[in-house]
Formats: sequence, C-alpha cells, structure tokens
Amino acid sequence: MISKLFQRNETYLFFVIMAFSFFVTVMNPSFLTVENMFDLVKSSSGMAILAIAFFVGLLSRGIDISFPAIAIAGQYIAVNALIAMGVDSLPLAFLISCAVGTAMGATNAFFISSFRMQALIVTLGTSNIFHGALLVFVGTRAINTGKLPHCFKAFGHMNVLTLARPDGTLYGLSVFAVLLLFVIILTWFILNHTLLGKSIYAVGGNYESAKRAGFNIKRTLFFVYGYIGFLSGIMGVMHLSLIRYSNPNYIVDTELLRVIAAVVIGGARITGGSGTLTGTLLGVIMMVILEKNLVLIGLSSYWHQFFIGLVIVLGVSITYYQSKRQNRRNLLFTD
Amino acid sequence: MCQGVLSLLIMEKIGGGTLVPFLEAEKISKAFDGVQALDNVSISIDAGAIHCFVGENGSGKSTLIKIIGGILRPDTGQMRINGRPFTPGRAIESIRQGIQIIYQDLALFPNLTVAENISLNQLIEKRNKLVSRKKLIQTAKKALAEIEEECDLFEKVENLSMSKRQVVAITRALTQNARLIIMDEPTSAITKAEVDHLFSVITRLKQKGIATLFVSHKLGEIFEIAENVSIIRDGVKVGDYKAEALDDRKLTFLMTGQEIVSKPYLPKGNGPSQSHLLELTNLTRKGHYQNVNLFVNQGDILGITGLIGSGRTELALSLFGLNRPDSGEIILEGKPVSIRSSREAVRLGVGYLPEDRLLQGLAIEKSIGDNILATIVGKVLTRLRLISGEQRKRIESKWIKDLDIKTPSPAMPASSLSGGNQQRVVLAKWLATDLKLFILDGPTIGIDIASKNNIHHIIRDFAHRGVGVIMISDEIPEVLQHCNRVIVMREGRIEAEIEDVQGVSEEYIFDLAAAKKVGQGM
Repeated sequence: MISKLFQRNETYLFFVIMAFSFFVTVMNPSFLTVENMFDLVKSSSGMAILAIAFFVGLLSRGIDISFPAIAIAGQYIAVNALIAMGVDSLPLAFLISCAVGTAMGATNAFFISSFRMQALIVTLGTSNIFHGALLVFVGTRAINTGKLPHCFKAFGHMNVLTLARPDGTLYGLSVFAVLLLFVIILTWFILNHTLLGKSIYAVGGNYESAKRAGFNIKRTLFFVYGYIGFLSGIMGVMHLSLIRYSNPNYIVDTELLRVIAAVVIGGARITGGSGTLTGTLLGVIMMVILEKNLVLIGLSSYWHQFFIGLVIVLGVSITYYQSKRQNRRNLLFTD
Repeated sequence: MCQGVLSLLIMEKIGGGTLVPFLEAEKISKAFDGVQALDNVSISIDAGAIHCFVGENGSGKSTLIKIIGGILRPDTGQMRINGRPFTPGRAIESIRQGIQIIYQDLALFPNLTVAENISLNQLIEKRNKLVSRKKLIQTAKKALAEIEEECDLFEKVENLSMSKRQVVAITRALTQNARLIIMDEPTSAITKAEVDHLFSVITRLKQKGIATLFVSHKLGEIFEIAENVSIIRDGVKVGDYKAEALDDRKLTFLMTGQEIVSKPYLPKGNGPSQSHLLELTNLTRKGHYQNVNLFVNQGDILGITGLIGSGRTELALSLFGLNRPDSGEIILEGKPVSIRSSREAVRLGVGYLPEDRLLQGLAIEKSIGDNILATIVGKVLTRLRLISGEQRKRIESKWIKDLDIKTPSPAMPASSLSGGNQQRVVLAKWLATDLKLFILDGPTIGIDIASKNNIHHIIRDFAHRGVGVIMISDEIPEVLQHCNRVIVMREGRIEAEIEDVQGVSEEYIFDLAAAKKVGQGM
C-alpha cells in the first residue's frame, strides 16, 4: 500500500509542496496563516477551474488552448448583456457566460470530431476567432468598477466562513471556494462514476479501440469540449467578480501558460490519456505557491514568465523520463 | 439458444455430426475495387469447436472475419447462426449474437485498469449511464474466474505483458456472452510459453461450450490446438480438413501452393583455422545475463533460443550498444571493443534487426525508399552534402528488385506493405551496409510461410557472403533448420552449446530451455 503510494507522482508533488511551504514559512511566518490560505484560495480558484478544464481535455488526448479566450468572451458578453438589459442578476450572468462558453466549446468539438483534427490546431484557430469576434462585434472598451452591476461586487465579497483577526476586523473564506469544490466534485464524479467519464479515458487511451467497443465518440468529444467551455464560462464570471473590472483583453494572455504548467507539473501526460484530478489540483497549488513567493526569495515579478516556462519543460520532462524508464525496463529502446 | 434443432438443409459437414453448426457462412464473395478478396468461400463452425482458419497474408482471412463481425458486408452469399439467417449490418449485431472478435491489436485501453477494460464493453452494451466501481470489479472477477485466470484488477493494462493483455481481451469477450471467439493471429506477438498458456485458455473456453476460430499461419500451433482446419488461398477456399488428416508438408502445400523444403544450413569453407569474428568472454549484466561466453565465425549462423526472460534479447541489445554490460569483454575481429551506442555499433559493422520491427525496425510512415537508405545515407551524398537523386533511385530499385519487395513504388510508405515485405525492407536497409555481424531477433515473427522461406534465404545469403549471423528465435524448428550452431539460454546463462545441429531433436532443445530433466543420451 505504502510502496504503491510512492510510485505515484502525486506523492512526490505533495512532499515538494510541503517542503517548499516550510521553506517559505521560515522566510515569512505570515505565509502559513489561515488568512493567507483563504486569500490564496480566493485568488486561485479561477485558475484551478481552468486547470480542471484543461485536464479533462488532456485525458481525451486533446490539447484545448481556447479556454482563456472562451473565459473572457463569456465574461465580457455576460457583463455587457447585463448592463444592456439593466438587470443585476448573478445567476443570469453565470447562465449567459456558461452558455456562451458551452457553445464555443461545441464549436471546437464539431471541428475536432468531424474531421478528427488535432485539438491543439483547431483551438489555436478558434481561440483567435472567438477573441477576435468578441473585440469586433461586442466591443473593446473595458468596463470599470463604477459601471459594473452590483451583483458581481457582492459575489466577490461574499464569504462562507468569517473569522476575526486579533484586532477585531473580519476576514473570511470566499464563496469561490464552494464553487471550486462543486466543480471538483462534479468532475470527479463524471470521471470516475459515469460511463461518459470512462469514455473520455477510453478515447484518450486508444481511439480505435473506443470506436470498436461501441463508445459514442462524437458525443464524448462534444461533452469534453462543451465542458471545457462551460467551466471557462464559470471562471470568466469569477475572474470579473474578483478584480471588479472587465477588460476584453484580460485572461487571454495571462492564464494559458500558467494553467498548462500547473496541469503538466501535476503529472498529466501531455500526450493524453493519463493523469489524475488530485495531481492537477496539487499542480495548481504548486504553481500558486511558487508564483506568490518569488518576490519573497528576492526575485522580481518578471521572473514569473521564466518560471512558468521552466515548470512546463520540467514537468513534461519528468513525465517523459518516467515513461522512458518504464520502457527501458521492458527493453524498449525507442525514444 | 436452440442448438439442438435439426437442420433441414444439406450441409457440408466437417465432422459428420447431426447438430446444426453454430455459424455457417455460405458462398461468401467480396470484392474491393475490382479485386476479388473472397470468392465463394464457405465455412462452418460447430458450437464449442476449436477451428483453425489458415492462409497466407492477403489470402482473404481478415475480410471474412470482418464480414462475420458485421464490419463489412458480403457482395453475395449468406450466413446463418444456429440455422437461422444472420445478416449483421453493424458490429454490435454480431456481438449480440455472441460473436466476439479479438483483433491482433487487442483493442484494449492501456490507460485504464484491468477491471475497467474487462467490464466496460458490457456496460456500453447495456447502455448503463453510471459506473459502479464495485460492480466493475465484480464483473471482472467473475469473468476471470470463469476461465480460471488471475490478474491484478487494479493494474493498468499498459503495465501488463502481452500475454496477460490477451487474457484481458479474452475475458472481456466472455462478459458479453460470447459463443464464438475469433482470434486474429493471436500468437504473433507472444512467446512459446505464452502460446501454451493461451492454448490452455482456449481449451477451457471449449469446456464452456464456446467455440474458437483461431486464425493463424503457424503450422506447429495449428496442429497443437486445432480440431478442424479450413484453408484459404488467394480468396478461394482450398478445403476443410480434420487436423489429424494433415501434416506439416501437406498443410504448407495447401496454404502456399508450393512445396517448401529447406536443407540444413552449412557454412561455406568451414575450416577450424578461422579466427573468431566475435567472441564474448564472461559478459555479464546483472539481472539480465551472466558469464556469457560465445563466439561467432564469419559465415556462421548462430542460433540463440530460450524462453522469454532467458536473457537472449538483453544480450543481443548489448551487442548493439543499447544495454551496456557490467563486466566481461566483447572482442570483435580480435580487438576488444566497447559498444556504447547503436551508432557506434553500426560503425563497427554490427547490424541489429529488432524483435518488434514495427516499433523499432522501421520508420513505418516513411517511404520504403527512405527506409532502405536510412543506414547508408552517407553514401548517397553529393559533394554538397545533398542526397543524390540518381544514386538514390539506383539503390532503391536494386534492393526492391533483389529482395522481391512487392510495391508499386519506393515512394509508398512502409506501412503499406505486408509483414513479410516490411521485414525485407528492414533487411535491405542492412544489406546495403557493409555488415560484419548481423543480429536478428525473431526475424520471422508474424510472417507467413512463403515470405519466411524467402527471408531465410536472404539470411543465408548474408552468411555466405561472410557475415557472422546471430539469429534469435522462439521457434526451435527454425533455429535447427537454419543455423549451423545453436546456443540455448536459460535464466541469463548459456544452458547448452550445440556445435552440430544434425540429428538434434526439438524436444531436446525445448527441455533445455525449460530446464526439464534431460537425459544424457545426446
């Protein structure tokens, strides 16, 4: 049992996170406080949801890089629609954002499943189409806090758990945590307890076999990319509520590589079919801690980019090295 | 369901019983783009029978299987199951009638567990939405118990051996109430011991009343397992036979339409004065092989046989620079060498034909010409280091002609060739270089008889030209027929070295490899 645990990537990642947290705490005791943890959860929930979306795509052997474009499209369309209609309703915002996301995901799925194209290539194109269309048809102007419907601000401030600091002021755990938890449980349930979930693994493991076994591959792919779009839609609204500002150029540039880095360091195989939800979440934690504490080690925030790239290359290398070692053990000498 | 019903039709019977066969296919014809793949082929499989379907590559076996499996539709002809008409339009209709096809690639999901692989198909068929882990495990356990097999249910299939994967595929077939399991060349990728295991599984299936249609072109296996044999050649059925009524020569003749006799191999100018081309002294790699001492002379074909795990492949890889030995010496042409990479091996004149030609021997998506040129690309360069088109053409067409590679053009991808032709491309690749030592690991695995014969001739030509050949093979008859010296390995050690293969029996070698008691008589 224990030895099996040590064969898993997640175990190592867990220990790395522990060691790193310990190191950071020594340098800065305020790191390991409940308040800081709550803050981290709030600011990184959105990224975690995107990571889960990307991970589900990878499982089916598809690298979908359109999620940042979808997230911003969902967000910007939702906020503009709410302002135009003069409605101040959070559920409606989620509904619009998620609907936009799902529809865009379905567009991806259409091209990927109909012509059996590489998801990476398809989404490289569609993400530009989505974002370009957003700027052309919906607008380019940022919506600042003043014009923002109240519901977003309220959502951003809503806590599910409130604690008091020694001086009597309050802090709390954001409602984002609940949303994230909901997405985790939903994804976990789909992947492990539904035939649909197994069909995602099956398609990612062996496309031909999945077809012969009688899985409805088209439906599976529509679900996968629709789900990625749906989750991106959720993230769009969360992101807006967090920063209380909607700029149609946000997310697109910033989130893509962070998310890929997190999923890859979490041990999911970039070529698909393999990986765990736990690993993905640990990967997100790893990335967040790393980014937040670069300054602490005395490095400027310009190092972010450097480190994200490093993590991707490192993560992929580790996974490949492991499978190469496995091959060697089976006397396979292909590279 | 109604297996006892008497047929009103007059049927061509193999056995002469009175029961309706489980499956009858009658006068099936199928053409692709004007090429007649099947021409009036009939086959009849009794419930619970072990039926072999034999024919060379391209003889139409796979087409018939696909028709039975509902993947292709016949142009003419009909099928019956238990005497009732059966016209499958989709794969699932055949599956519902109890027909399960296990393709060569097994169609498993490497990234899922054994339990999931076994049980998922059943869930799809039942159109379940949810997956209960407990039920998955139960189903898998039950199906495994049915054929008295054991397997770690939680292991991912990618970590299993080939033969275990086969067990998983067969077990999966059982979960869908299989009455007939069609196995498409199941033994092409497994070793002798694993074949024996597979056969015991097939026998257990028979006891359950499940018929097996075993597609193969390996003679030894056919005689070991089959009750009935149907032979097909060039899309036309040659006939149905009881296995007892056939022998090697007759079956070979019926399959290929030609008599294939092979004389034992004797090296030219076999003088004792020769200095050894290759000599290994106390070569050891821990966990792989220990204290290997052997030599190869020019013109030798040294056979190495042994079970999987005997260290034969590991040793071969060491000679090609891929699996470095811990200690001992490799002496090539009198000089000790250390071969640290495959590139170095090639430079020293060592060639290696890997067991898995698809994965390691060929660039399968590249053209045949590119593959042939791969090892000698340096020789066709012009002064500007560009590839000379004229030279290239000359070399390509020379080898395609010399080795009788059947292709319309060297520009076709290697994947378009049959197994035998692919292997010839791999051989051409090495023939084009100046080899001193050629190591072949399972050179005829998965290749049909006529091509096999051809490949053996090519190997002999190598040896006659003075190349030292090491041929590793599972098939003891192959080693005895085509090698002048044989080494038997077991558990990483050389168990026996046979200098003169004349009169040595297959059983004797097999017993050595499997470490059974061997009499001192030889």
